[in-house]
Amino acid sequence: MGSIKQIPVVEAKRTNPLARVFDDLVRFCRSRSLFILHYCTGCGAIELPPAMTSRFDMERLGIQPMVSPRQADILLITGYVSIKTLKRVILTYEQMGSPKYVIGICSCTVNGGMYWQSYATAKKLDEYMPVDLYIAGCMPRPEAVIAGLQQLMDKIHSGEASSWEDYYRNYDYYLGNQQKLFGEDWQTPTDVISEAKHYDLLSEGTLGDHTRLLEQHQKPLEALEMRLGHEQEEPAK
Amino acid sequence: MSATELLIELILMPLVAFVVGMMMVLMMRRIAAKLQRRIGPPFFQPLYDIVKLHSKKTQVSHGLIHDIGIVMAMGGYIAAETLLPVPGMNGIAEKGGIITLLYLMMIPSLGLALGVGQCANPNGSIGIARALTAMLAYDIPLVIVVFGVAYAAGTTNLIDIIAVQQAGGFETWGATQMPLLAIAGLIAMHASLGKQPFEIYIAPAEIATGPMVEMGGKYLGGLFVMQCFQLYTTSVLYVCLFLGGGTNWFDFLLKSFLVLAIPMSIAYLFPRYRTEDLLRLMWKWPVMLGLIGVAFVFV
Ligand code: SF4
Repeated sequence: MGSIKQIPVVEAKRTNPLARVFDDLVRFCRSRSLFILHYCTGCGAIELPPAMTSRFDMERLGIQPMVSPRQADILLITGYVSIKTLKRVILTYEQMGSPKYVIGICSCTVNGGMYWQSYATAKKLDEYMPVDLYIAGCMPRPEAVIAGLQQLMDKIHSGEASSWEDYYRNYDYYLGNQQKLFGEDWQTPTDVISEAKHYDLLSEGTLGDHTRLLEQHQKPLEALEMRLGHEQEEPAK
Repeated sequence: MSATELLIELILMPLVAFVVGMMMVLMMRRIAAKLQRRIGPPFFQPLYDIVKLHSKKTQVSHGLIHDIGIVMAMGGYIAAETLLPVPGMNGIAEKGGIITLLYLMMIPSLGLALGVGQCANPNGSIGIARALTAMLAYDIPLVIVVFGVAYAAGTTNLIDIIAVQQAGGFETWGATQMPLLAIAGLIAMHASLGKQPFEIYIAPAEIATGPMVEMGGKYLGGLFVMQCFQLYTTSVLYVCLFLGGGTNWFDFLLKSFLVLAIPMSIAYLFPRYRTEDLLRLMWKWPVMLGLIGVAFVFV
Protein backbone atom coordinates (compact mmCIF):
# COMPACT_ATOMS: atom_id res chain seq x y z
CA MET A 1 0.00 0.00 0.00
CA GLY A 2 1.72 3.13 -1.24
CA SER A 3 0.05 5.71 0.93
CA ILE A 4 1.37 4.34 4.21
CA LYS A 5 4.53 6.38 3.94
CA GLN A 6 2.61 9.64 3.64
CA ILE A 7 0.77 9.39 6.91
CA PRO A 8 2.52 11.69 9.35
CA VAL A 9 3.67 9.78 12.39
CA VAL A 10 3.44 11.98 15.42
CA GLU A 11 6.10 11.09 17.91
CA ALA A 12 5.33 11.77 21.54
CA LYS A 13 7.64 14.54 22.63
CA ARG A 14 9.93 13.56 25.44
CA THR A 15 11.75 16.43 27.05
CA ASN A 16 13.15 14.62 30.05
CA PRO A 17 16.58 13.26 29.05
CA LEU A 18 16.16 10.36 31.47
CA ALA A 19 12.98 9.35 29.71
CA ARG A 20 14.89 9.12 26.47
CA VAL A 21 17.48 6.88 28.07
CA PHE A 22 14.67 4.75 29.42
CA ASP A 23 12.99 4.54 26.02
CA ASP A 24 16.27 3.53 24.48
CA LEU A 25 16.76 0.83 27.09
CA VAL A 26 13.27 -0.50 26.47
CA ARG A 27 13.80 -0.58 22.74
CA PHE A 28 17.12 -2.32 23.20
CA CYS A 29 15.54 -4.96 25.43
CA ARG A 30 12.72 -5.41 22.96
CA SER A 31 15.18 -6.01 20.18
CA ARG A 32 17.22 -8.47 22.21
CA SER A 33 14.40 -10.58 23.50
CA LEU A 34 12.10 -11.89 20.83
CA PHE A 35 9.61 -14.66 21.39
CA ILE A 36 8.50 -16.17 18.14
CA LEU A 37 5.26 -17.89 17.40
CA HIS A 38 5.88 -19.93 14.31
CA TYR A 39 2.79 -20.46 12.32
CA CYS A 40 4.16 -23.31 10.33
CA THR A 41 2.25 -23.24 7.13
CA GLY A 42 3.83 -24.49 3.97
CA CYS A 43 7.26 -25.94 3.45
CA GLY A 44 9.41 -23.17 4.92
CA ALA A 45 8.81 -24.52 8.39
CA ILE A 46 11.40 -27.18 7.78
CA GLU A 47 14.15 -24.55 7.92
CA LEU A 48 13.24 -23.48 11.43
CA PRO A 49 14.43 -26.48 13.45
CA PRO A 50 18.01 -26.12 12.19
CA ALA A 51 17.83 -22.39 12.84
CA MET A 52 16.77 -23.06 16.41
CA THR A 53 18.96 -26.00 17.33
CA SER A 54 22.66 -26.56 17.65
CA ARG A 55 23.77 -25.70 14.15
CA PHE A 56 22.58 -22.10 14.02
CA ASP A 57 21.26 -21.53 17.56
CA MET A 58 18.81 -18.65 17.56
CA GLU A 59 18.88 -18.42 21.34
CA ARG A 60 22.24 -16.67 21.29
CA LEU A 61 20.38 -13.74 19.75
CA GLY A 62 17.72 -13.93 22.41
CA ILE A 63 15.16 -15.49 20.12
CA GLN A 64 13.03 -18.21 21.63
CA PRO A 65 10.06 -20.16 20.42
CA MET A 66 6.85 -19.64 22.38
CA VAL A 67 3.65 -21.53 22.07
CA SER A 68 0.75 -19.17 22.53
CA PRO A 69 -0.04 -15.90 20.75
CA ARG A 70 -0.37 -14.00 24.02
CA GLN A 71 3.26 -14.63 24.87
CA ALA A 72 4.80 -14.01 21.49
CA ASP A 73 6.28 -10.97 19.77
CA ILE A 74 6.92 -12.26 16.28
CA LEU A 75 4.49 -14.10 14.11
CA LEU A 76 6.52 -16.16 11.74
CA ILE A 77 4.64 -17.28 8.68
CA THR A 78 6.63 -19.91 6.92
CA GLY A 79 5.23 -20.42 3.51
CA TYR A 80 2.08 -20.28 1.47
CA VAL A 81 -1.12 -19.43 3.30
CA SER A 82 -4.23 -21.03 2.00
CA ILE A 83 -7.41 -19.06 2.46
CA LYS A 84 -8.55 -21.30 5.25
CA THR A 85 -5.21 -20.91 7.02
CA LEU A 86 -5.25 -17.17 6.56
CA LYS A 87 -8.33 -16.90 8.74
CA ARG A 88 -6.47 -18.56 11.57
CA VAL A 89 -3.40 -16.50 10.95
CA ILE A 90 -5.44 -13.32 11.28
CA LEU A 91 -7.12 -14.52 14.47
CA THR A 92 -3.72 -15.36 15.88
CA TYR A 93 -2.26 -12.05 14.82
CA GLU A 94 -5.01 -10.05 16.44
CA GLN A 95 -4.57 -11.85 19.73
CA MET A 96 -0.88 -11.10 20.03
CA GLY A 97 0.19 -8.32 22.30
CA SER A 98 1.64 -5.24 20.70
CA PRO A 99 4.29 -4.34 19.79
CA LYS A 100 4.14 -7.31 17.47
CA TYR A 101 5.99 -8.09 14.31
CA VAL A 102 5.19 -10.27 11.36
CA ILE A 103 7.79 -12.01 9.27
CA GLY A 104 6.93 -13.70 6.03
CA ILE A 105 9.37 -16.44 5.19
CA CYS A 106 9.41 -17.91 1.68
CA SER A 107 8.50 -16.44 -1.66
CA CYS A 108 4.98 -17.70 -1.33
CA THR A 109 4.19 -15.06 1.26
CA VAL A 110 5.61 -12.33 -0.94
CA ASN A 111 3.64 -12.94 -4.10
CA GLY A 112 2.18 -16.42 -4.04
CA GLY A 113 5.31 -18.01 -5.43
CA MET A 114 4.61 -21.22 -7.24
CA TYR A 115 1.03 -21.11 -6.02
CA TRP A 116 0.33 -18.00 -8.03
CA GLN A 117 -2.35 -19.71 -10.04
CA SER A 118 -3.93 -21.52 -7.15
CA TYR A 119 -7.49 -20.55 -6.37
CA ALA A 120 -7.13 -21.46 -2.72
CA THR A 121 -4.02 -19.53 -1.77
CA ALA A 122 -3.77 -15.98 -0.49
CA LYS A 123 -1.10 -14.41 -2.66
CA LYS A 124 0.29 -11.38 -0.87
CA LEU A 125 0.43 -11.57 2.88
CA ASP A 126 0.77 -7.83 3.35
CA GLU A 127 -2.67 -7.24 1.94
CA TYR A 128 -4.17 -8.87 4.99
CA MET A 129 -1.86 -7.82 7.77
CA PRO A 130 1.15 -5.52 7.98
CA VAL A 131 4.38 -7.42 7.43
CA ASP A 132 7.62 -6.12 8.91
CA LEU A 133 10.00 -8.22 6.94
CA TYR A 134 10.03 -10.70 4.13
CA ILE A 135 12.67 -13.33 3.76
CA ALA A 136 12.47 -14.44 0.17
CA GLY A 137 13.65 -17.72 -1.23
CA CYS A 138 12.14 -21.04 -2.02
CA MET A 139 12.93 -21.85 0.71
CA PRO A 140 15.42 -19.53 2.45
CA ARG A 141 18.25 -21.25 4.24
CA PRO A 142 18.63 -20.89 8.02
CA GLU A 143 21.42 -18.35 7.46
CA ALA A 144 18.97 -16.19 5.56
CA VAL A 145 16.36 -16.61 8.28
CA ILE A 146 18.81 -15.55 10.94
CA ALA A 147 20.09 -12.64 8.85
CA GLY A 148 16.50 -11.54 8.44
CA LEU A 149 15.85 -11.78 12.14
CA GLN A 150 18.95 -9.70 12.79
CA GLN A 151 17.64 -7.09 10.42
CA LEU A 152 14.39 -7.07 12.35
CA MET A 153 16.33 -6.61 15.57
CA ASP A 154 18.05 -3.56 14.11
CA LYS A 155 14.72 -2.20 12.98
CA ILE A 156 13.21 -2.66 16.41
CA HIS A 157 16.17 -1.02 18.08
CA SER A 158 15.97 2.00 15.82
CA GLY A 159 12.22 2.16 16.33
CA GLU A 160 11.30 1.57 12.69
CA ALA A 161 9.48 -1.69 13.24
CA SER A 162 6.09 -0.17 13.98
CA SER A 163 3.98 -1.93 11.42
CA TRP A 164 1.62 -3.12 14.14
CA GLU A 165 0.44 0.47 14.41
CA ASP A 166 -0.28 0.37 10.73
CA TYR A 167 -2.87 -2.34 11.27
CA TYR A 168 -4.82 0.02 13.48
CA ARG A 169 -4.26 3.09 11.32
CA ASN A 170 -5.36 1.38 8.12
CA TYR A 171 -7.70 -1.22 9.48
CA ASP A 172 -10.27 -0.43 6.82
CA TYR A 173 -7.87 -1.40 4.05
CA TYR A 174 -6.87 -4.68 5.64
CA LEU A 175 -10.45 -5.51 6.58
CA GLY A 176 -11.54 -4.80 3.03
CA ASN A 177 -9.08 -7.29 1.64
CA GLN A 178 -10.09 -9.82 4.24
CA GLN A 179 -13.75 -9.35 3.38
CA LYS A 180 -12.97 -9.83 -0.28
CA LEU A 181 -11.62 -13.28 0.49
CA PHE A 182 -13.80 -14.48 3.31
CA GLY A 183 -17.11 -12.88 2.48
CA GLU A 184 -18.97 -9.92 3.85
CA ASP A 185 -19.87 -11.40 7.20
CA TRP A 186 -16.24 -11.99 8.17
CA GLN A 187 -15.67 -11.09 11.79
CA THR A 188 -12.93 -11.79 14.31
CA PRO A 189 -13.37 -12.00 18.07
CA THR A 190 -11.04 -9.04 18.55
CA ASP A 191 -12.53 -5.56 18.52
CA VAL A 192 -9.78 -3.85 16.55
CA ILE A 193 -11.47 -0.46 16.40
CA SER A 194 -11.75 -0.16 20.16
CA GLU A 195 -8.16 -1.25 20.47
CA ALA A 196 -7.14 1.45 18.01
CA LYS A 197 -8.92 3.96 20.22
CA HIS A 198 -7.19 2.54 23.25
CA TYR A 199 -3.75 2.98 21.72
CA ASP A 200 -4.66 6.38 20.37
CA LEU A 201 -4.03 5.18 16.84
CA LEU A 202 -7.41 6.01 15.34
CA SER A 203 -6.87 7.78 12.03
CA GLU A 204 -8.66 8.33 8.74
CA GLY A 205 -7.78 4.87 7.51
CA THR A 206 -9.18 3.08 10.52
CA LEU A 207 -12.84 3.57 9.72
CA GLY A 208 -14.39 3.37 6.31
CA ASP A 209 -16.77 1.48 4.08
CA HIS A 210 -15.50 -1.90 5.13
CA THR A 211 -15.76 -1.29 8.85
CA ARG A 212 -19.31 -0.06 8.26
CA LEU A 213 -20.02 -3.30 6.52
CA LEU A 214 -18.53 -5.12 9.47
CA GLU A 215 -20.80 -3.28 11.86
CA GLN A 216 -23.83 -4.31 9.85
CA HIS A 217 -22.98 -7.98 10.00
CA GLN A 218 -21.33 -8.04 13.39
CA LYS A 219 -22.78 -10.53 15.80
CA PRO A 220 -22.14 -9.73 19.42
CA LEU A 221 -19.65 -12.12 20.92
CA GLU A 222 -20.93 -14.47 23.55
CA ALA A 223 -19.01 -16.27 26.20
CA LEU A 224 -18.72 -19.95 25.53
CA GLU A 225 -21.11 -22.11 27.42
CA MET A 226 -19.40 -24.00 30.21
CA ARG A 227 -20.46 -27.55 30.75
CA LEU A 228 -18.98 -30.76 31.96
CA GLY A 229 -18.65 -33.59 29.54
CA HIS A 230 -20.50 -33.35 26.28
CA GLU A 231 -23.66 -34.85 24.98
CA GLN A 232 -23.00 -36.75 21.86
CA GLU A 233 -25.28 -36.10 19.02
CA GLU A 234 -26.78 -39.02 17.28
CA PRO A 235 -25.04 -39.53 13.98
CA ALA A 236 -27.40 -38.89 11.12
CA LYS A 237 -28.64 -42.09 9.69
CA MET B 1 18.78 -5.37 65.92
CA SER B 2 17.03 -2.07 65.36
CA ALA B 3 13.91 -1.63 63.32
CA THR B 4 15.69 0.22 60.52
CA GLU B 5 18.27 -2.52 60.14
CA LEU B 6 15.52 -5.08 59.96
CA LEU B 7 13.67 -3.02 57.38
CA ILE B 8 16.79 -2.70 55.25
CA GLU B 9 17.34 -6.44 55.45
CA LEU B 10 13.74 -7.13 54.50
CA ILE B 11 14.16 -5.01 51.39
CA LEU B 12 17.63 -6.24 50.53
CA MET B 13 16.98 -9.95 50.85
CA PRO B 14 14.35 -10.21 48.06
CA LEU B 15 16.47 -7.94 45.88
CA VAL B 16 19.52 -10.12 46.31
CA ALA B 17 17.33 -13.15 45.67
CA PHE B 18 16.09 -11.60 42.45
CA VAL B 19 19.55 -10.82 41.11
CA VAL B 20 20.94 -14.22 42.07
CA GLY B 21 17.79 -15.84 40.73
CA MET B 22 18.29 -14.21 37.34
CA MET B 23 21.81 -15.60 37.24
CA MET B 24 20.38 -18.99 38.08
CA VAL B 25 17.96 -18.72 35.18
CA LEU B 26 20.90 -17.83 32.99
CA MET B 27 22.82 -20.82 34.29
CA MET B 28 19.87 -23.08 33.60
CA ARG B 29 19.61 -21.89 30.01
CA ARG B 30 23.35 -22.09 29.49
CA ILE B 31 23.44 -25.65 30.81
CA ALA B 32 20.63 -26.56 28.44
CA ALA B 33 22.55 -24.95 25.61
CA LYS B 34 25.79 -26.75 26.47
CA LEU B 35 24.03 -30.09 26.61
CA GLN B 36 22.50 -29.45 23.22
CA ARG B 37 25.83 -28.17 21.85
CA ARG B 38 24.62 -24.66 21.42
CA ILE B 39 26.14 -21.39 22.54
CA GLY B 40 23.24 -20.29 24.65
CA PRO B 41 21.81 -16.91 25.55
CA PRO B 42 23.91 -13.83 26.35
CA PHE B 43 24.62 -12.88 29.94
CA PHE B 44 21.83 -10.37 30.38
CA GLN B 45 19.17 -12.39 28.58
CA PRO B 46 16.93 -12.98 31.63
CA LEU B 47 16.95 -9.23 32.28
CA TYR B 48 16.13 -8.41 28.66
CA ASP B 49 13.21 -10.81 28.76
CA ILE B 50 11.79 -9.36 31.94
CA VAL B 51 12.18 -5.73 30.83
CA LYS B 52 10.69 -6.51 27.46
CA LEU B 53 7.69 -8.29 28.88
CA HIS B 54 6.95 -5.47 31.28
CA SER B 55 7.20 -2.92 28.51
CA LYS B 56 4.72 -4.55 26.16
CA LYS B 57 2.00 -2.16 25.07
CA THR B 58 -0.78 -4.71 25.33
CA GLN B 59 -1.48 -6.02 28.78
CA VAL B 60 -4.40 -8.38 28.62
CA SER B 61 -5.98 -8.81 32.02
CA HIS B 62 -8.79 -11.26 32.47
CA GLY B 63 -10.05 -9.66 35.65
CA LEU B 64 -9.16 -8.82 39.19
CA ILE B 65 -8.44 -12.36 40.32
CA HIS B 66 -6.03 -12.79 37.43
CA ASP B 67 -4.06 -9.79 38.68
CA ILE B 68 -4.18 -10.92 42.28
CA GLY B 69 -3.08 -14.42 41.30
CA ILE B 70 0.14 -13.12 39.78
CA VAL B 71 0.79 -10.90 42.79
CA MET B 72 0.28 -13.91 45.06
CA ALA B 73 2.62 -16.01 42.94
CA MET B 74 5.38 -13.45 43.30
CA GLY B 75 4.50 -12.32 46.81
CA GLY B 76 4.63 -15.81 48.24
CA TYR B 77 8.23 -16.17 47.16
CA ILE B 78 9.17 -12.64 48.17
CA ALA B 79 7.88 -13.39 51.64
CA ALA B 80 9.77 -16.67 51.62
CA GLU B 81 13.05 -14.88 50.87
CA THR B 82 12.85 -12.94 54.13
CA LEU B 83 12.74 -16.24 56.01
CA LEU B 84 15.82 -17.66 54.31
CA PRO B 85 19.03 -16.71 56.11
CA VAL B 86 21.89 -15.61 53.89
CA PRO B 87 25.39 -14.72 55.09
CA GLY B 88 25.18 -11.56 57.16
CA MET B 89 21.41 -11.23 56.92
CA ASN B 90 18.87 -13.23 58.85
CA GLY B 91 15.76 -11.18 58.23
CA ILE B 92 12.91 -12.69 60.19
CA ALA B 93 14.19 -16.25 59.85
CA GLU B 94 14.30 -16.65 63.60
CA LYS B 95 10.66 -15.73 64.07
CA GLY B 96 9.36 -17.64 61.10
CA GLY B 97 11.00 -21.01 61.20
CA ILE B 98 10.98 -23.65 58.58
CA ILE B 99 7.32 -24.59 58.83
CA THR B 100 6.16 -21.10 57.90
CA LEU B 101 8.65 -21.20 55.05
CA LEU B 102 7.16 -24.42 53.70
CA TYR B 103 3.70 -22.87 53.83
CA LEU B 104 4.87 -19.75 52.03
CA MET B 105 6.42 -21.84 49.30
CA MET B 106 3.01 -23.30 48.51
CA ILE B 107 1.31 -19.93 48.06
CA PRO B 108 2.64 -19.30 44.52
CA SER B 109 1.00 -22.45 43.17
CA LEU B 110 -2.27 -21.52 44.80
CA GLY B 111 -2.01 -17.96 43.48
CA LEU B 112 -1.40 -19.29 40.00
CA ALA B 113 -4.40 -21.57 40.35
CA LEU B 114 -6.58 -18.60 41.20
CA GLY B 115 -5.24 -16.43 38.41
CA VAL B 116 -5.35 -19.09 35.74
CA GLY B 117 -8.85 -20.05 36.79
CA GLN B 118 -10.11 -16.70 35.68
CA CYS B 119 -8.44 -16.95 32.28
CA ALA B 120 -10.91 -19.74 31.50
CA ASN B 121 -8.55 -21.43 29.11
CA PRO B 122 -8.89 -25.21 29.13
CA ASN B 123 -5.14 -25.67 28.66
CA GLY B 124 -4.54 -23.46 31.66
CA SER B 125 -6.98 -25.42 33.78
CA ILE B 126 -5.38 -28.71 32.84
CA GLY B 127 -2.00 -27.20 33.63
CA ILE B 128 -3.12 -26.02 37.04
CA ALA B 129 -4.71 -29.35 37.87
CA ARG B 130 -1.41 -30.96 37.01
CA ALA B 131 0.61 -28.38 38.94
CA LEU B 132 -1.38 -28.99 42.09
CA THR B 133 -1.10 -32.75 41.61
CA ALA B 134 2.65 -32.34 41.21
CA MET B 135 2.71 -30.27 44.39
CA LEU B 136 0.97 -33.09 46.19
CA ALA B 137 3.56 -35.47 44.79
CA TYR B 138 6.71 -33.65 45.84
CA ASP B 139 5.49 -32.10 49.06
CA ILE B 140 5.19 -35.42 50.85
CA PRO B 141 8.86 -36.39 50.47
CA LEU B 142 9.82 -32.75 51.10
CA VAL B 143 7.92 -32.65 54.38
CA ILE B 144 9.42 -35.98 55.45
CA VAL B 145 12.90 -34.68 54.67
CA VAL B 146 12.35 -31.40 56.47
CA PHE B 147 10.91 -33.25 59.46
CA GLY B 148 13.97 -35.50 59.59
CA VAL B 149 16.39 -32.60 59.48
CA ALA B 150 14.45 -30.61 62.05
CA TYR B 151 14.25 -33.64 64.35
CA ALA B 152 17.97 -34.30 64.07
CA ALA B 153 18.78 -30.68 64.87
CA GLY B 154 16.14 -30.53 67.57
CA THR B 155 14.70 -27.28 66.24
CA THR B 156 12.65 -25.83 63.42
CA ASN B 157 14.66 -22.66 63.40
CA LEU B 158 16.74 -22.45 60.23
CA ILE B 159 19.43 -20.33 61.87
CA ASP B 160 19.97 -22.98 64.53
CA ILE B 161 19.95 -25.76 61.94
CA ILE B 162 22.71 -23.93 60.08
CA ALA B 163 24.63 -23.27 63.28
CA VAL B 164 24.55 -26.97 64.21
CA GLN B 165 25.94 -27.87 60.79
CA GLN B 166 28.64 -25.23 60.82
CA ALA B 167 29.84 -26.29 64.27
CA GLY B 168 32.16 -29.06 63.08
CA GLY B 169 32.81 -28.21 59.45
CA PHE B 170 32.22 -30.74 56.73
CA GLU B 171 31.53 -33.66 59.09
CA THR B 172 28.52 -32.04 60.69
CA TRP B 173 26.86 -31.05 57.43
CA GLY B 174 23.40 -32.42 56.94
CA ALA B 175 24.48 -34.17 53.76
CA THR B 176 27.25 -36.14 55.53
CA GLN B 177 25.15 -36.88 58.60
CA MET B 178 21.98 -37.84 56.76
CA PRO B 179 22.90 -38.83 53.20
CA LEU B 180 19.62 -40.66 52.58
CA LEU B 181 17.58 -37.61 53.49
CA ALA B 182 19.86 -35.48 51.32
CA ILE B 183 19.23 -37.69 48.29
CA ALA B 184 15.47 -37.73 48.89
CA GLY B 185 15.57 -33.97 49.31
CA LEU B 186 17.41 -33.57 46.02
CA ILE B 187 14.77 -35.56 44.16
CA ALA B 188 11.93 -33.64 45.80
CA MET B 189 13.69 -30.38 44.97
CA HIS B 190 14.07 -31.39 41.35
CA ALA B 191 10.37 -32.14 41.14
CA SER B 192 9.45 -28.87 42.80
CA LEU B 193 11.35 -26.95 40.13
CA GLY B 194 9.02 -28.38 37.52
CA LYS B 195 11.75 -29.23 35.05
CA GLN B 196 11.98 -32.31 32.88
CA PRO B 197 11.32 -35.17 33.57
CA PHE B 198 8.84 -33.68 36.05
CA GLU B 199 7.69 -30.94 33.74
CA ILE B 200 4.11 -32.19 33.61
CA TYR B 201 2.38 -28.88 34.10
CA ILE B 202 4.32 -26.78 31.60
CA ALA B 203 4.43 -29.30 28.75
CA PRO B 204 4.65 -26.79 25.87
CA ALA B 205 4.03 -29.34 23.17
CA GLU B 206 1.02 -30.83 24.85
CA ILE B 207 -0.94 -28.21 26.79
CA ALA B 208 0.79 -25.07 25.48
CA THR B 209 2.69 -24.19 28.69
CA GLY B 210 -0.33 -24.90 30.86
CA PRO B 211 -0.74 -22.14 33.44
CA MET B 212 1.12 -19.64 31.29
CA VAL B 213 -1.01 -20.04 28.20
CA GLU B 214 -3.10 -16.90 28.61
CA MET B 215 -0.38 -14.79 30.14
CA GLY B 216 1.21 -12.06 28.12
CA GLY B 217 3.11 -8.90 28.80
CA LYS B 218 3.65 -8.09 32.43
CA TYR B 219 1.73 -11.15 33.56
CA LEU B 220 4.22 -13.40 31.86
CA GLY B 221 6.94 -11.05 33.09
CA GLY B 222 5.69 -11.59 36.62
CA LEU B 223 5.95 -15.31 36.13
CA PHE B 224 9.49 -14.93 34.81
CA VAL B 225 10.36 -13.01 37.98
CA MET B 226 8.66 -15.73 39.97
CA GLN B 227 10.85 -18.30 38.29
CA CYS B 228 13.97 -16.43 39.43
CA PHE B 229 12.69 -16.48 42.99
CA GLN B 230 11.68 -20.10 42.72
CA LEU B 231 15.13 -21.27 41.66
CA TYR B 232 16.74 -19.19 44.40
CA THR B 233 14.38 -20.30 47.16
CA THR B 234 14.63 -23.98 46.36
CA SER B 235 18.38 -24.12 46.09
CA VAL B 236 19.03 -21.91 49.13
CA LEU B 237 16.64 -23.95 51.24
CA TYR B 238 18.54 -27.07 50.25
CA VAL B 239 21.87 -25.42 51.05
CA CYS B 240 20.53 -24.38 54.45
CA LEU B 241 19.20 -27.82 55.26
CA PHE B 242 22.03 -30.00 54.06
CA LEU B 243 25.14 -28.05 53.10
CA GLY B 244 25.58 -25.97 56.20
CA GLY B 245 24.33 -22.68 54.84
CA GLY B 246 26.99 -20.19 53.91
CA THR B 247 29.79 -18.77 56.04
CA ASN B 248 30.49 -16.10 53.46
CA TRP B 249 28.91 -15.01 50.21
CA PHE B 250 31.36 -16.82 47.96
CA ASP B 251 30.85 -20.08 49.75
CA PHE B 252 27.10 -19.57 49.84
CA LEU B 253 26.65 -18.71 46.16
CA LEU B 254 28.98 -21.49 45.06
CA LYS B 255 26.97 -24.04 46.99
CA SER B 256 23.60 -22.79 45.77
CA PHE B 257 24.65 -22.72 42.13
CA LEU B 258 26.25 -26.16 42.36
CA VAL B 259 23.18 -27.65 44.01
CA LEU B 260 20.99 -26.23 41.30
CA ALA B 261 23.29 -27.44 38.57
CA ILE B 262 22.60 -31.08 39.49
CA PRO B 263 18.87 -31.17 38.62
CA MET B 264 19.46 -28.84 35.67
CA SER B 265 22.02 -31.13 34.08
CA ILE B 266 19.72 -34.09 34.56
CA ALA B 267 16.66 -32.21 33.36
CA TYR B 268 17.62 -31.58 29.77
CA LEU B 269 18.53 -35.19 29.13
CA PHE B 270 15.06 -36.54 29.72
CA PRO B 271 11.63 -36.31 28.21
CA ARG B 272 8.56 -35.89 30.37
CA TYR B 273 6.75 -38.26 32.69
CA ARG B 274 3.02 -38.57 32.78
CA THR B 275 1.19 -37.31 35.84
CA GLU B 276 0.52 -40.72 37.34
CA ASP B 277 4.11 -41.78 36.74
CA LEU B 278 5.30 -38.72 38.57
CA LEU B 279 3.05 -39.51 41.52
CA ARG B 280 4.16 -43.12 41.60
CA LEU B 281 7.81 -42.21 41.39
CA MET B 282 7.60 -39.45 43.99
CA TRP B 283 5.60 -41.42 46.48
CA LYS B 284 7.81 -44.47 46.10
CA TRP B 285 11.53 -43.63 45.96
CA PRO B 286 12.06 -40.33 47.74
CA VAL B 287 9.43 -41.22 50.35
CA MET B 288 11.08 -44.59 50.96
CA LEU B 289 14.55 -43.07 51.14
CA GLY B 290 13.24 -40.30 53.34
CA LEU B 291 11.53 -42.69 55.75
CA ILE B 292 14.64 -44.86 56.06
CA GLY B 293 16.65 -41.68 56.57
CA VAL B 294 14.29 -40.54 59.29
CA ALA B 295 14.59 -43.96 60.92
CA PHE B 296 18.38 -43.53 61.01
CA VAL B 297 17.90 -40.12 62.58
CA PHE B 298 15.74 -41.68 65.33
CA VAL B 299 18.22 -44.45 66.11
S1 SF4 C 1 8.35 -20.44 -1.33
FE1 SF4 C 1 8.81 -22.53 -1.96
S2 SF4 C 1 9.45 -23.55 -0.07
FE2 SF4 C 1 8.37 -21.69 0.51
S3 SF4 C 1 6.24 -22.30 0.85
FE3 SF4 C 1 6.43 -21.59 -1.26
S4 SF4 C 1 6.82 -23.44 -2.44
FE4 SF4 C 1 7.24 -23.92 -0.29
